[in-house]
Amino acid sequence: MKVVIDPVTRIEGHLRVTMELESVSTKTGNWFVVGKAYSSGMMFRGFEIFLKGKDPRDAFFFTQRICGVCPAAHAEASNQALDIAFDAVPVPPAATLIRNIIQCAYYIYDHMIHTYLLVGPELGILCKYPPMIPPVLGKEGIAKMGLGSSYAKCIEMQRKANEIVAIWGGKFPHHACGYPGGVTVKPTSERISQTVARAVELWEFVAKTMIRDIQAIIQANETVGEKVSEILGLNIRGLEDIGVGTGNFLSYGMLPDPENYEDWLKVAYGEKGRRKSAVFHAGAWDGSFKDFDLKKIQEFVKYAWYSDEYSGKRPDEEETVVELNKPGAYSWIKAPRYDGKVYEVGPLARMVNTFGLSWRIPRVHPITGEDLGDFVYKVRNPKGSVLDRVVARVANALICANKLIEFAKMLMEFKDSSICKYKDVPETGEGFGLYEAPRGALLHYLKIKNKVIERYQCVVPSTWNQSPRDDMGQPGVMEQSLQCGTTWLPTMDVPTVCSAIWGEDYGNLLRKALAPLGLAELNMEPVNGQKFNTTLALLIIRSFDPCIACAVHVISK
Amino acid sequence: MRLSRRNFLKLVAAMGATAFLSTYKAEVVEALNEVKDYWHICWLNGGACTGCTISFAQATDPDILEIFTSITVGNSRLPIALPDYMETIEPASGWLAEHLKERWKKGTKGRRILIIEGAIQKKGYCVIRGKDFSEHVLDVIDYADHIIAFGACACFGGIPSSHPNPSGAKGLQEFLREEGRDDLASKVINVPCCPGHPDHLVITLTAVMLGMKLELDQHNRPKLFFGRNMHMELCPYRPYYDMGIFETKPGEEGCRYKFGCKGPDVYTDCALRKWNNHVSYCVQVGAPCIGCAEPGFPDRFIPFYEPITNRRPFFNIDPNYVWVGGAVLAGTALMKKKRGEEE
Ligand code: SF4
Ligand code: SF4
Repeated sequence: MKVVIDPVTRIEGHLRVTMELESVSTKTGNWFVVGKAYSSGMMFRGFEIFLKGKDPRDAFFFTQRICGVCPAAHAEASNQALDIAFDAVPVPPAATLIRNIIQCAYYIYDHMIHTYLLVGPELGILCKYPPMIPPVLGKEGIAKMGLGSSYAKCIEMQRKANEIVAIWGGKFPHHACGYPGGVTVKPTSERISQTVARAVELWEFVAKTMIRDIQAIIQANETVGEKVSEILGLNIRGLEDIGVGTGNFLSYGMLPDPENYEDWLKVAYGEKGRRKSAVFHAGAWDGSFKDFDLKKIQEFVKYAWYSDEYSGKRPDEEETVVELNKPGAYSWIKAPRYDGKVYEVGPLARMVNTFGLSWRIPRVHPITGEDLGDFVYKVRNPKGSVLDRVVARVANALICANKLIEFAKMLMEFKDSSICKYKDVPETGEGFGLYEAPRGALLHYLKIKNKVIERYQCVVPSTWNQSPRDDMGQPGVMEQSLQCGTTWLPTMDVPTVCSAIWGEDYGNLLRKALAPLGLAELNMEPVNGQKFNTTLALLIIRSFDPCIACAVHVISK
Repeated sequence: MRLSRRNFLKLVAAMGATAFLSTYKAEVVEALNEVKDYWHICWLNGGACTGCTISFAQATDPDILEIFTSITVGNSRLPIALPDYMETIEPASGWLAEHLKERWKKGTKGRRILIIEGAIQKKGYCVIRGKDFSEHVLDVIDYADHIIAFGACACFGGIPSSHPNPSGAKGLQEFLREEGRDDLASKVINVPCCPGHPDHLVITLTAVMLGMKLELDQHNRPKLFFGRNMHMELCPYRPYYDMGIFETKPGEEGCRYKFGCKGPDVYTDCALRKWNNHVSYCVQVGAPCIGCAEPGFPDRFIPFYEPITNRRPFFNIDPNYVWVGGAVLAGTALMKKKRGEEE
C-alpha cells in the first residue's frame, strides 16, 4: 500500500513524498509503518542556465532568488565565490563583520519561523504545549489559554530580525549590499545602534522564550514516548527514535573571524581543514571529528530527470542536461554524496561538527550581565533524529543571538575602515563559496571567462537531505529517516491519537478547535478507503526544514 | 476619523502606503471588522522562490497574524480572511490541502480572492499532486472574483524568465492571454517588486475588501504605488545627481547612477515607503536600484552595476531603444519571435 503526501505544505517549495507501507505485528496488535520512502522535488527553474553569459557581479542578485526563504545564505555563498574569483581577498574586517551581522540576524529569523510556524504546530499539538499550538481561537485563545503565545510572538520577532538585515542590506528578502571583495554599506553609528536595540530584544526572545519552549518539548516528549510505546508494544524513547538518520554529518562552517580571514579561505582553495577560527566549524563527522575535503563531493543523477552522462562528477566539472521523461527517475533533485556516502547537513550537522555530541551554550544577558544559566544538551541519538534536529536549530539560534551583539559591538572599532577590497571585473577567474544556509552546507562555484559567467553551479543543503537514491542505490537522508522503522502511520485521526497520549479532554478540545476550520481530518491521507495519519512522517520531513526551490535550481547545457 | 471609500485612497495617495498603514492601522482593522462576511483567499505558488510569502509575513500594520486571526467576522471568532489554500503556512497538507481549495471555490460569490506567487512555466516544470501548475491556475481562475499577481515573477515572469528562460517562465497576464483568456487577463492586479512589498498587498487587499476600485497603470499596477518615477520625483539622492556627484565604487558618497542605478527607468515608491517596517531600501545601502518593480526585469536592467546607458544590446536589440517610452509590448513580441526557434 502506498501513501502519498503531495503537496507537503509548511516547507519551502513543491515536495511530494511517497511511502510504501509495511505492517508490523507486536504483542499489542498490527501496525502500519513506512517501509520504503521516496522524495520528489517537483519544480524546476534552471538558474545555472540563465546565469551563463551574465556579468559575474549580477550573480549576487540572481542567486538570492533561488530561494526567498534563505536568500541571505545564497547571497553570502555567491559573494564569497566572487571574492575569490575577483581575487579580492581577504575581505576587509568591517565587511566581514557587516556580513556576519546580516547572517546572524537572518539565521535567527529563519530558525524561528521554522521552529514555530513550520514544524512547531505538530510539535505543540503532539506534546500538548499550548504556546506552540497555532492560535486558532484568535486573540481570545491567546489571552485565555496562552494558545499560540510563542507562535504569535515569533511573528513579531522574525520581523525585527529582518529589520536588522534591511538596515544593512536595504531589504529582506533579497538584500542588496553585497559586492565582490566586501559590501557597499557603511558602518555608521546610527546603523550600529539601530541593530543593537533590536538585537537585545531578539536575544531575550531566543534565550528566554525559545529555550523555555524547547525544554518543555524535550520534557513532554518523554510522555509521548512512553504512551506511544505502550500503544505500539515497541520500545520508543520518543522523538529521538523517530526519523533516525545516517550519523554522518557535513558542515562548511559559518561566521568567519574577521581578523583571521586567511584561515577561513583555505578550505575554499581546496586545502583540507575545519575552519576552527570561525563560530561554526567545517567538518565531515562520521562518529568523530574529520577534516572537510572539497574534492570528496560528487553529484549523482540516476534517479533524477537529468542525463546520466555526467553522473558522479564534481561541482566544478559537471555538465547537467535535463531529460524530462527518463525512466526510473522520480525527482528534480540530484543526489550529492561525500566520499560516496550519504551525509546529513543542517543545524545538527553544524553543532556536531563544532561541539561534538554534548553542547553547552552560555546565556548571559548582553546588557545587564544577568546569567540565565547555560543551555546544556546531549545529543540523544548520534545518528540524528527529529528531536535532535529541532533542538539543534534552537541552539543555533541562541549562538547567533549571542554573536550578533558581539559583532555589532566589534564593528564600532572598524567604523572608519575600508568596506571593500575593490577590483574590476577580471578577464578570467574562478572560485568556490562554501557557506552554511540554515538548512545546511551550501556550495556555489563560478567560473569567469571574457568578463562574463562561463559556468555557475550550486550544491545546496536540500539536495543533500531531500535527495533521491544515488547511482549506488543508497537512499537520501530524509528517505532513510522515513524508512528507519519507527514511522508509524496510525489509522486514528490526530485528536484520537492525542486522546490516547494525553487523555480524552485534550482530544475533545482539539476536535472542537479543528472542525470549524475545516481541519477535522488534519494530516489524514486516504488510500483505498482507509485513512492514514501522516503526522509523524510530516514531523520527520519538516525536521529537515526542506527547501525545494533551493534543491532544484540546477542545470547547464 | 472613520475610513470611508471616499477618503481611503486619497489618504494612501497623500501619505504613502506605509505611513498610511501605521497611522490608520486601527481604523483599517475597524473598517474590515464591519465587513459582514468571510473573504476566501487562495494563494498559489508556482515557479517561485517563496520570497513573496516571506515578504508578506513582514507586514507590520496590521501584521499577518492580525489579518488572518484577529479581524473576525461577528461573533464567529473566525478570521475575515480565510486562507483556504496557502502552501507555505497552512495547517493542512496533502489531500486535505487540495480539498480546502474546493472549499475556496464554493466561497461566497464576489468574495473569493486569488493570489498568485511565482511564474507560470512550460508544462512539466512545476507539478503539484500530479497536475501541472498551469492547469491548477486554469482550474481555479474562473472562480476568482479578484485576481492579484504578487511579485515580479507572477506579474511579468521575473528572474526565472531571464534569457534563455529555460523553463518558459512567464507572468500570469501573459499566460492568460496565450490561453485566450483576455477577459481574465485584464482583471489581474499586478503588484510587482522582487519580492512583492507587504504594504502594497495589505492595501490592495483592504481596498478590495472595502469594495474600492484601484486605478491601474498600463501594466495593471496600482497607480497608488507605481505611479511616480523614482529618479524624477522621489529619490533623496537626487541633489547629488544634479550636482554631478556620483558613487562609482563601494564606499563613495553620491548618486548611484554611475554605479548602475536604474531609478530613472523605474516607477515605484521605494524611496518613500522603504522596506521592512520602513528601515531602508536598496539605494540607501549604497547599492543601485535594479528595477525590480518594472516589466522586463531582470534582463532589461542587466548588468546591474553598469549605468543605464551602458546596457548591452539584448537579442541584438538596443535596450535603450526598446524600453524607452514604454514600448514594452513591442519588445516582448519581438523577443518572443526570436525565442520562437528555441521553444
Ligand atoms: S540615479 Fe538613482 S540614486 Fe541617482 S538620483 Fe536617480 S534614483 Fe537617485
Ligand atoms: S529600489 Fe529598485 S531594486 Fe530596490 S526594491 Fe525598489 S524597485 Fe526594486
